[in-house]
Amino acid sequence: MIAPASLFILALLQQPAQGFDHVQHKALFPSCTSCHAGAAQERPSLWPDPVSCAACHDGAIEKTVVWRAPTSPRRSNLRFDHVAHGAKAGGKSPTCAGCHTVAGEPRMAVREPVVQRCLDCHEIRTAHLAAPDSACATCHVSLVRAASLTRQDVADFPAPPSHAAPDFLSRGGHGAVSRQAMGTACATCHAREFCYQCHAGSAPPRAIAWLASDPRSTALLARAAPASHGDNFADRHGTEAAASTTTCTGCHVRADCLECHRPSGARAAGYHPDGFLARHPASAYAREAACSDCHNVGAFCTACHARAGLVAEGLLRSGYHDARRFFLVGHGQAARQGLESCVTCHAERDCLPCHSAVGGRRFNPHGPGFDASRMRRKNFAMCTACHGANVPER
Amino acid sequence: MRRTIVVALLIGSPLSAQGYRVRLDGRFQAVGYRGVQLDSIPVTDTVTGPSGGPATPDGFAVRCPSGAAYCLFFRPGAVQRGAPFVTTADASVWGFGVRGLSAHATARAAVDFTGSDAWPGTESAIQLLAAYADYSVERLSARAGRQLNSNRLGTIGFDGASITVRDGRRGLEATIYGGWGLARGAALPVTSPALNPLDDFQPGRRQLLLGAEAGWSGRIGDIRGEYLREVDPATDYFVSERVGFAGVARPAPGWSVSAGADYDLAAGWWGSAEAALGYTTRSVTGSLGVRRYRPHFDLWTIWGAFSPVPYTAVQGQVAIRALPQVQVRARGERYRYNDAEVSAPLVTVEQSGWRSELGVTASPVASWTFDAGYSREFGPGAASVGTSASVTYAPTGPYAVTLHGAALDRPLELRFSESVLHVYGIDGRVEPHPGLRFEIGAVRYAEDRRRPDPAAIDWGQWRVTLRAVLAIGSGDDLDRLPPAVRRMPGGRAER
Repeated sequence: MIAPASLFILALLQQPAQGFDHVQHKALFPSCTSCHAGAAQERPSLWPDPVSCAACHDGAIEKTVVWRAPTSPRRSNLRFDHVAHGAKAGGKSPTCAGCHTVAGEPRMAVREPVVQRCLDCHEIRTAHLAAPDSACATCHVSLVRAASLTRQDVADFPAPPSHAAPDFLSRGGHGAVSRQAMGTACATCHAREFCYQCHAGSAPPRAIAWLASDPRSTALLARAAPASHGDNFADRHGTEAAASTTTCTGCHVRADCLECHRPSGARAAGYHPDGFLARHPASAYAREAACSDCHNVGAFCTACHARAGLVAEGLLRSGYHDARRFFLVGHGQAARQGLESCVTCHAERDCLPCHSAVGGRRFNPHGPGFDASRMRRKNFAMCTACHGANVPER
Repeated sequence: MRRTIVVALLIGSPLSAQGYRVRLDGRFQAVGYRGVQLDSIPVTDTVTGPSGGPATPDGFAVRCPSGAAYCLFFRPGAVQRGAPFVTTADASVWGFGVRGLSAHATARAAVDFTGSDAWPGTESAIQLLAAYADYSVERLSARAGRQLNSNRLGTIGFDGASITVRDGRRGLEATIYGGWGLARGAALPVTSPALNPLDDFQPGRRQLLLGAEAGWSGRIGDIRGEYLREVDPATDYFVSERVGFAGVARPAPGWSVSAGADYDLAAGWWGSAEAALGYTTRSVTGSLGVRRYRPHFDLWTIWGAFSPVPYTAVQGQVAIRALPQVQVRARGERYRYNDAEVSAPLVTVEQSGWRSELGVTASPVASWTFDAGYSREFGPGAASVGTSASVTYAPTGPYAVTLHGAALDRPLELRFSESVLHVYGIDGRVEPHPGLRFEIGAVRYAEDRRRPDPAAIDWGQWRVTLRAVLAIGSGDDLDRLPPAVRRMPGGRAER
């Protein structure tokens, strides 16, 4: 997570210096420090005294110019200080021209620092934004410490190429980087609030908690869905969501689930495609999805089916199965295959006249997989609905 | 419970550091469709219809219960009109002076202005989906109140408490929860009359519920297990007892293998299960898998003892972004039910089926999206074949308009009715302010029901929908953050 902030600073600084044409004045100044004494010594200002300009620009010799040295700190996240850098680097410290000019250009063709020189001297053998995560702090302070940067400056931070990797948003992408670096590299551009744009639904990972707080960090928006959320993910997210609840809660909160998984919603927003009402018979009969996870049969299906005549109120009399003349005597297969559909119109009493062992015709409804002794042990009361007190052992 | 939440919210309101998020979602619909009227005729007055069965003199096929003196049939009834207005409110409040403490509520109020009760889900008039207090710190979350817990065993509602402990560094998390359960797929207790329109079997007391979950999440995958038992306190017998497992492995970038299954400890059989291999890149998304589905019935009904049989399916889907502006998609599934082990010589029913879908979405320019699809499915009980298309104009502004249409042929296996349906409509959305959205929609269902007798009572109807969504809160950043954050407990400012 190399510092994209530096590219912004680079763009800011790489522009030709405005206001003062160094080349035009090259004959006047033998050295840089004659005007920028602060680059070599601690106490003087980095900027020239405006009085020295007025020596020529007095309105007679040259036209008057009005210039004042900047009083506010430079909008930068560079940790660079000329004097300290020179003292630390000693003999290896570059000359002014080494950083502020490009080879081949005339003397005093001054520009803002050439970033590649920094990378070269510090032996960072990559393009600026592709530098390793551990390299950011070489030149940059964290966002929190870069107090002069405005929210807009932060918004203009470019993303390094590593952030474009398909799995960068995954646990193995930025998650691994942040865990390894414990936020040190991330902190150059990011603060805790940035992470909370997505890590909303659960306690924050340690790497996030390590970051300092800085509301400016939300100027960068992190709203892209991870690669796993490809097309049709809504249809197939069930297993992953069941297995990876912790992962989901990194970005989602419970209300997100309730947008679709809303019990008995008359029309839950989003889950079913437009027009699903028209084609729900085929989908529901063969259980394309588990309808009863969200729709209670009694409150939802039966209430509507009854108004459409699809109901068996006390007797098998609706005539729904009118395309099968002897459906009643041969309904077993259809019932075992589509029992959830049957109970959207039928209640238990419709079946007991034939299937009950007490007062019924004793047609055995138990089929493949039925474990009588287990069922008897788990809920004896249910068995008595058909068997009365004489529930068979097996 | 409702009173407790209201009092909690009122008490909390004067606190200076309090923050809140409220989302109101109101939806009004108007619908009118032809109803049916149950009628009868003496057996002696019936005539022989064109198909050889009994019919009324004016042509309605009738059903004559064995030994009954009367035969029954449906005539077209009065037009059923409904005008339901459903409002859902989500609220989160924090800042009670204890860091990590917050309160949440989701409630729904429904009323049908026609008083006809023609719309499902409007009973009872006020439903509390969730209302709980939450205390969360890095290693622990505790909740008390009405909660909804979604996992592979379903959406489980209960009034009670839950505690989650986690070790984020190792990716471990465990939860235990318990209380009085709600009915499946409803925000109502199982004793509610609204869940028993047919006035049949219904428990007299709410079930007691106890569940536990544990999971591990790591870079290479996730795994999770769940256990849930529900007990009827009146009889001291199980209502259900199930366990579930699910896992995802990510062996390489873009690849995933997911699998899950649940086992019904009460019935002694495997429930639903699935396994899939997935592949995702920026231009291709696909999966191939198998799944099995078996319905689950609580033991306060007798349905589980009727041995519902599962089906097993092979399925695959792929979506390819052929060009940056064009995506094509296809999906298919073939399934087959296990042998039901019943002898029914007079009635044959399909035992297998399939589903398929093709579609294309194109956005040739940024503001326009065209979508077309073709779907076909065939299986036990019902089949359908249909096409659909839509055009959406969504400029870089606060509004969007969609025109959509569809044609559908949907024969039902067990009925004479074969319905040919045309659907066309328009939807509009305008968002004058980031926290405020209005939607309007109108759709016409034009049905041609084919049946050899006058009982071809069509289902044609207009539906008009108006919707307003309002999100407000104490922060000034609601419009810039994703929905998850706008609703998150405490908001980012609290962290």
